[in-house]
Amino acid sequence: MTPMTLLAQAYVYHPFLDPLPVWNVWYLLLVPLCAGVSIVWKSIKCESMRKVPSQSAGLLFWILLTMILAAAGLAALVRLIEHFIG
Amino acid sequence: MSDTRPQSPALVAVAGWILPGLGYWLIGHRARAVTVCITILSLFTLGLLVAGIRSVDVPGYNDDGKLTLVPSTDQPAITAHPISEILNKPWYIGQILAGPITILCSDYSINLSKPLPDNPDVSPAAKAHVRVAEIGTLYSAVAGMLNLLVIIDAAHRANRSNSEKAPA
Repeated sequence: MTPMTLLAQAYVYHPFLDPLPVWNVWYLLLVPLCAGVSIVWKSIKCESMRKVPSQSAGLLFWILLTMILAAAGLAALVRLIEHFIG
Repeated sequence: MSDTRPQSPALVAVAGWILPGLGYWLIGHRARAVTVCITILSLFTLGLLVAGIRSVDVPGYNDDGKLTLVPSTDQPAITAHPISEILNKPWYIGQILAGPITILCSDYSINLSKPLPDNPDVSPAAKAHVRVAEIGTLYSAVAGMLNLLVIIDAAHRANRSNSEKAPA
C-alpha cells in the first residue's frame, strides 16, 4: 500500500465541511454540472417547456462529446510534443 | 402553463435573485420557474457537498475568518480597497448571484474558519486546495451565473409581456 492509499483510507468525510473523497474519479463530477447547465440553458431558450427534456439531453450529449474530443486532442498534442522534445 | 400578469421587470429581477426562478413564477411561467429553481439550487448545494462550505470564500476575510486589515491604517481591506479584495476572490462574484443563500453560507463559512478556542492551530473546517474543491467552487459559481441568465431572461419576458399588453 502506498502512503497516499493509507491517507485516503484514514480520511473521514464530514458532509459540507470537507471535500468529497472522489480523488480518482473527479472528472465524473463534470457530468452533473454539464447537465445543470443544459437544463437551465434550454429552459431559457425553449418557448415550450415540453421540449426541454429532449433538447437538454441533446445539448448534454454534445457538450460531453466535445469535452471528450478536446481532452483526447490535447492528450495527443502533449504526447506529440513529448515525442519531439523529450 | 403560463398567464401574462403584468409585472415590473425590476421586481421580477429582484425576486429572481432572492429565489432562483421566482421571477418566472411572478410572470406566470410556473414550470420554467420550478425547473430552474430546482436545477440552480441543486448545483449550488452539490458544490458545497463536493468542496465543503469553505468553497464560499468571502472577500475581505482571511483563512482564519478574521477581517483583513490594511497594515498602515488598520482599516478593513474590504472598505479600503473593495475592488481589489473582490478581484482576489473572483468566484464569489458568481456565487453571490445565486441569491441570499450565499450570504447565509458566507456567514457559516466565516464562523467555521475561525480557530478552535482550545486549539488555535485547528479550525472546524479547513480550507481545501485539492482539485475536487476547485470543482465544487465551480459548481456554486456556475449556479450563480446561470441564475444571472435566468434573471435577465425573466425580466426581459416581463418587459415584453408588458409592452404587448400596453394600449397602442
